[in-house]
Amino acid sequence: MPEIAVLVKRVPDTNAKIAISGDRVDLSSVKWVMSPYDEFALEAAMMHKESNGGTVTAITLGTPDCDKVLKDAKAIGVDRIVRVWDDSWSDLDSNQVQSALVSALKELSTEVVYCGKSAADTGASSTGPGVAERMGWASVSNIIGIEFEDAGVEVLIPRNIGNARTGVSLPAVISCDKGFCKPRKPNVKGIMMAKRAQVEVLGADIPTSSINIVSHTPPPQKASGQKFEGAGNVPTVVAALRNDANVI
Amino acid sequence: MVYEALDFYDIESECTEEEIMVRDMVRDWVDEEVIPNIEAACREGRFPEEWGKALGEMGVLGMTIDEKYGCAGMSYVAYGLVCQELERGDSGLRSFASVQGSLAMFPISAFGSEEQKMHYLPKMASGEWIGCFGLTEPDYGSNPGDMITKASDQGDHYLLNGAKMWITNGTVADVAVVWAKLDGVIRGFIVEKNDPGFSAPEMTGKHSLKASVTSELVFQDCKIPKDRMLPSVKGLKGPFSCLNNARFGISWGAIGSAQACFHSAKEYALSRIQFDHPIASYQLVQNKLSWMLREITKGQLLALNLGRKKDAGTWIPEQISLAKMNNVDMALEIARMARDIHGANGILDEYPIMRHMANLESVKTYEGTHDIHNLIIGRWITGIQSFTRTL
Amino acid sequence: MTEIIVIAETKDGIISPVTSELVSAAIVLGGNPTVIVPGVNDTAATSGAAISGVSKVIACVGEQFSNYDAAAWASAIDACAPAGVIICAATQNGKDLGSRLAARRAVSVVQDVVAIDGGVLTSPIYSGKAMQNVSLQGDAVVSIRANTFSPSSDGGNAEISVMNQSADLKTAVREMIAKASERLDVAEADIIISGGRGMQDPANFAHLERVADTLGAAVGASRAAVDAWEDISHGMQVGQTGKTVNPSLYIAVGISGAIQHLAGMRTSKYIVAINKDAEAPIFQHADYGIVATWQDALPILESELKALLG
Repeated sequence: MPEIAVLVKRVPDTNAKIAISGDRVDLSSVKWVMSPYDEFALEAAMMHKESNGGTVTAITLGTPDCDKVLKDAKAIGVDRIVRVWDDSWSDLDSNQVQSALVSALKELSTEVVYCGKSAADTGASSTGPGVAERMGWASVSNIIGIEFEDAGVEVLIPRNIGNARTGVSLPAVISCDKGFCKPRKPNVKGIMMAKRAQVEVLGADIPTSSINIVSHTPPPQKASGQKFEGAGNVPTVVAALRNDANVI
Repeated sequence: MVYEALDFYDIESECTEEEIMVRDMVRDWVDEEVIPNIEAACREGRFPEEWGKALGEMGVLGMTIDEKYGCAGMSYVAYGLVCQELERGDSGLRSFASVQGSLAMFPISAFGSEEQKMHYLPKMASGEWIGCFGLTEPDYGSNPGDMITKASDQGDHYLLNGAKMWITNGTVADVAVVWAKLDGVIRGFIVEKNDPGFSAPEMTGKHSLKASVTSELVFQDCKIPKDRMLPSVKGLKGPFSCLNNARFGISWGAIGSAQACFHSAKEYALSRIQFDHPIASYQLVQNKLSWMLREITKGQLLALNLGRKKDAGTWIPEQISLAKMNNVDMALEIARMARDIHGANGILDEYPIMRHMANLESVKTYEGTHDIHNLIIGRWITGIQSFTRTL
Repeated sequence: MTEIIVIAETKDGIISPVTSELVSAAIVLGGNPTVIVPGVNDTAATSGAAISGVSKVIACVGEQFSNYDAAAWASAIDACAPAGVIICAATQNGKDLGSRLAARRAVSVVQDVVAIDGGVLTSPIYSGKAMQNVSLQGDAVVSIRANTFSPSSDGGNAEISVMNQSADLKTAVREMIAKASERLDVAEADIIISGGRGMQDPANFAHLERVADTLGAAVGASRAAVDAWEDISHGMQVGQTGKTVNPSLYIAVGISGAIQHLAGMRTSKYIVAINKDAEAPIFQHADYGIVATWQDALPILESELKALLG
């Protein structure tokens, strides 16, 4: 009966406009949501429990504002909701975030952790593998399929030459891409359960930061539209998409 | 375009966390399942069966009723928010939920026996059984008190005779709550779809609420067991208390229609270029958008205040009449104005405008016509009823 | 001076070109790097040593490098790498490995760097809607996006040392499954190529599909195409009554750009339009417009992309 954890993060809605005020992003008027890939991780964690039993704990890191994503997780059926935070913390770097999460995971005796393949704010993809390393566990990232076995899981990982059907024994951290499952939706009864649920708050000792955020700045302006006459210019456009736009 | 709800006076901050969670649950479902499919459903003139099931799975059918009957026991504000999001999809969809929750489940929960509640409510909450509500008759619309549908006591059963008209969900219903006169007194009866002498032919040819089933209910010596009468209510108070709940939902639902039209008009005005500039930059268009925002905001404040009074039990029926009348009226005007902003494009089913406009013509009339609500308020002001010439 | 270590990116036992860009990044950041070349043997190390500006090469050799296994790779590479700032490529595996290395050394990781200027590293955040600029205060791991720095030229001759480092695998690849050629849904895809009625015949969408295959893109369509041709399904429709999409790249072919189509795709990060009508409204919204027939443009597009992306 595994102790299953899922890491969920509160991020600005992916449609939100991100404003810069002074030298920092100004998130005061954005709508907040659970990071989209985390919804797939949450679904995978629920599927794991349905297959192998155990309990699912949703964990987030942040201020009390982040309780909403935990309530969202509770509304679709997780057993426990835990927030890791200390009021003395601010602007945590990856090293600090992972240390804090690892401290909570150890306290909860977790055996398998699910997370999204990246968070919609930083897009860094650091937390899953970083947490695994600190726990001394296996990790698999960007999975697009999963089957549950007695002592582990079998996942599908996209590689250049095809998809690798990969066996992972537990304990492990599994970071999830979208597409392999349809995240379940809450219902009114789940929401009423969430209303009554208590968020457990855990603290942690964390190291000092080794990076300094100098500033946030707006992205470079796109050049205004260019129009070319004739198919002979296709190579020029392809080169621009590669080198200027960085989209291929 | 990604939907951004207008919330000029920050209504959201006046709601509880679970009310917002319920709203967002329905909002997401409407965006994902309803809006991409509603035009096809309208063209085919059908209500997609799976939507009824989905409403049951989400738990929004009869959601204000007690948890012991398989419902959620949530606030009326939450119910209002659900109606708002459903009607942003389509008035026919909101009508389905209103009829099921306010007109069929509510009377059973309020006036039914414990056996009736336990038997019907859980299956209706889950969407397994669909309900309808029979009050209006071909010749008695605004004047239901003179209905001619009758029940007669046959010792071990009742016999119903008469006909009802404009009944949402009638043809697809498993359970009908029917109001009929027993010895001259209006009583509520639960009729099941297979009861002998009962039929529910569908009415066709509507230009409005096309994704909704509208039916006649016909009773020809329809035989029902004795335990199907609602024991705890007599007279028009029964159906009127149901209508109050449904009208409350409509007052919120209309905001959803108005929001859909406003959102579309705003997006269109910002992207439509005429005379080298977006039409949103012209004063006549801004005036229209500003008027829409003003009316939606007033409607929201009205609905929210009414919702809190409903939850506190401090409301009077005239307040519901005002909200229903005002909000449907403003939504219809906004739909018409949005069509104007969309120009010729506004008549296409690429945009939701004409569909909402046509739907709202029905919504303006059903559940107490606009004019009848004026008379209800007129009576409240003057103390003189003006429904009938017999003064 | 902090030591800089570059983890070479390899593919099928050969050093990938991005490695030379990482060496350039290292030099901008502060010095001639040590390059770690992981592999089942040391053959790839020679090409690492040939990159100019490299101070030395460590071939990190072990059986674990036959397949990517995050834990085993991190443990072996960590054992070979001196203390310092580690640079790797911001590829899927590079970022994953970088995260583990940083965690192993209890330092921070800065991902997806697209510029380095005076010790300040810039990365996009919020899907590129803002940039984050950070400075390092000690050792860290940094991943650099491809095409950020011009590659350091060949002509180096660094000393190569070989370190054998075995590590336990924590995962096992049981089977490689060829990728199904299942078409992505337009709502999910990061790149979309759409056709309109200008494609003249639904059979011609095959040309769009071939380009889509090289890009890993989804194929979309305008309403005009969906209405005109039964073979073009409603699920492909982008626009007011179809899907609203927000990809990094949207390529519109033979689509005039009706307001209803624009409503579904105008927030795409980059828009390319190919249309034979120079006056088509789509060009007003395109970052790159090409006035040409699809018959002329698509074959060139396909071959250019194949050459670039393999």
